[in-house]
Amino acid sequence: MAHDVEVLSGPARVARAALNGYAVAIYIFLFAPIVLLVLFSFNANRYGTFPITGWTLEWYRAAFSDYQVHDAVATTLKVAAQVTLISAVVGTAAAFPLVRSRLPFREGIRIILILPIMIPGLLIGVSLLVLFTSTFHWQLSEETAVIGQAVYTTPFVILLVAARLQGFDRALERAAADLGANTFQRLRRVVLPLIFPAILAGALFAFTLSLDEFIITYFLIGPNNTLPIYIYTQIKFGITPEVNAVATLLLAGSLILLAVAFVLPQLVRRARRLVTSARAA
Amino acid sequence: MSASAAAEAAPARDRLPRFASAIGSYVGFLPAVLLLGLCFLVPLGIIVCYSFWETVDYAVVHHWTLDNYRYFFSVSAYVSTMWATLWVAVVATALAIGLAFPFAYWLSRYVPQRFRTILLVLVIVPFWASYLLRVYSWLTILGEQGVLNRFLQWLGITNHPLGIFLYDRPAVILVLIYLYFPFGALTLYSSIERFDWNQLRAAMDLGASPLQAIFRILIPQIKPGIITAIIFVFIPILGEYLTPQIVGGTGGVMIGNLIVNFFQEAEYTRGSAIALLVAAFIVALLIIFRKSLSTKEAYGA
Repeated sequence: MAHDVEVLSGPARVARAALNGYAVAIYIFLFAPIVLLVLFSFNANRYGTFPITGWTLEWYRAAFSDYQVHDAVATTLKVAAQVTLISAVVGTAAAFPLVRSRLPFREGIRIILILPIMIPGLLIGVSLLVLFTSTFHWQLSEETAVIGQAVYTTPFVILLVAARLQGFDRALERAAADLGANTFQRLRRVVLPLIFPAILAGALFAFTLSLDEFIITYFLIGPNNTLPIYIYTQIKFGITPEVNAVATLLLAGSLILLAVAFVLPQLVRRARRLVTSARAA
Repeated sequence: MSASAAAEAAPARDRLPRFASAIGSYVGFLPAVLLLGLCFLVPLGIIVCYSFWETVDYAVVHHWTLDNYRYFFSVSAYVSTMWATLWVAVVATALAIGLAFPFAYWLSRYVPQRFRTILLVLVIVPFWASYLLRVYSWLTILGEQGVLNRFLQWLGITNHPLGIFLYDRPAVILVLIYLYFPFGALTLYSSIERFDWNQLRAAMDLGASPLQAIFRILIPQIKPGIITAIIFVFIPILGEYLTPQIVGGTGGVMIGNLIVNFFQEAEYTRGSAIALLVAAFIVALLIIFRKSLSTKEAYGA
C-alpha cells in the first residue's frame, strides 16, 4: 500500500502514534469487561470480583449441579432448535421471490422485512404479549416464545440467503433444464446445494440469536426460564461467581457457534472443491 | 432413453419461466407473510387499537378515546423520562460515533492491509457475545465490590467503596457506548475504506491543515456512512430496556422501562400508547432515512 511507505512529517508521525495508542485503548475498553467476567468465574473469591484469592472450578461445579441451570439450558436449546428450523425454512422460501420475481412494492416489502430487525425487541415482545394473552387468551409457553423469536430471527435469514441468491448465475439452472432436470430436480440438485452455505450460516446465526435473546422471551415464555432469563433473575441479587461461570459458558457457546457459522461455509466450499477436483482427476 | 430425454428437454426450456413462477413467485413468500404478517404487523395493529381504547375494571373496552395519550402527557415523570430517553440516545450515539470515527480512520489509514481483517473481527467479537452478558459484565467493574472501586481503594484514593459509578444516567450512557461502538466502527470503516487518501494529501499540499482536510474533504464524502451509523445506533437505543434496568437504577430510567412496567401491571391500553409513540417515532425515522438504510453496509451480508 502506498501509505505504508509514505514519508510522514513530524506532526503526522505524532498523530499516527497518538492514534495507535487510542486504538489500543479502544481494544482494552471492548475486551476488559468480558475478560474480567471470564477471569472471575475461575476466581475463588466469593464476591465474584477482585482480589483474586486463588483459582477454582468450584463455581462451574456449582452451576453444573444446579437443577435450575439444567432446566434453563434444556429450555434454551429446545426453543433455539425450533426457532432455527422455522426461520431457516421460512427465510429461505421468502428469499426466492424477494430476489427473483418482479415484486410490486419492493421498497415497502424491504422495509417490512427490515422492520423486525430495526424495531426494538421490546415492542415485538409487548405487541405479541397483547395478541396472545389479551386477544387469543392463550397460555404463555415455550411455543409463544418460539414464535416471538422467529419474528426477529427470520429476517436475518432472508437477508443472508437473498444476498447469496443475488449473485447466483441463472445460466446454471437453464443448463440443468436443457439437460432435462425438472423444477424439483433443479431446485434440489442445483440451486439448494449452491446456496446451502448461506442457509447454514443463516440457521446458525438464528440459533445464536435465539440463545442470547432476552426481551422478547422475557415477555412470552411464561413460567419457564431460558438461560439469559435465568441469569437475569440471578443478577437482581447481585454478582455471584456461579452466574459468572454460567455467563462464561453461554459466552463460549455463542462465540463457538458464530465462529462455526462463518468458518463452516468456507469449509463446505473448500471440501466441495476438493471433491470436484478429485472426481476430475 | 435418449429420445425421452430429448422430449423432456424441449419443453424444459419453456418450463423455466414456469419454474420462475412456481418457485420464484409469491408461493415462497406465503410462510413469511403468515409469520411476519400475523405475528408482527397484526400485533402492531392491535397495539395501535389498544392505545386508543379504554381499560375499565381490568377489561379492555372498545371505546375510542385519546385518554391513554392524555394520561401519558399529563404525568410529568413520564414526559421527563421521554425527554431523558431522547437525551441519552443523542449523547450515547454522538459519543459512540465520535469515538468510532478516529478508530475507523486509524484502521483504514495506518494499518497495513493484511492486519485489517483480523483487527476488524476483533471489534466484532465482543459484539457477538450475549447482549445481556455485555451489560452484566459492567456490574463487575462499576459495582461497589467492582474492579474500579477495588482499584481506587488500592491506590488509596478512597477507603470505602463508592456507589457513584452505578445506578445513574452516566453509567447507562457508558454501557450504551460500549454496546454500540462496534456498530459505529464497522459502518464508518466500510465507508472510509473506499476513500482515496490522495485527496487528503492533495488538500494538504494546497495548504489545508490536517483537521481542515479531514472535515472538508473526508467527512463530506463519507456522509452517507455516517448517517447510516447514526441511525443504526440511535434507533435501538430508543428501545433499550436491559441497560437502564441493570446499571441505571432510579436515575437512569428510560422509556423502555416505562413500557415494561405498564405491561407487567397489565395496563395494556396505557402501555400501548407509549409503545406506539416509540414505534411511530422509529418508523418515521426509518422512512425519512430509508435511502441511508443500506442493510448491506450494516450487516455485511
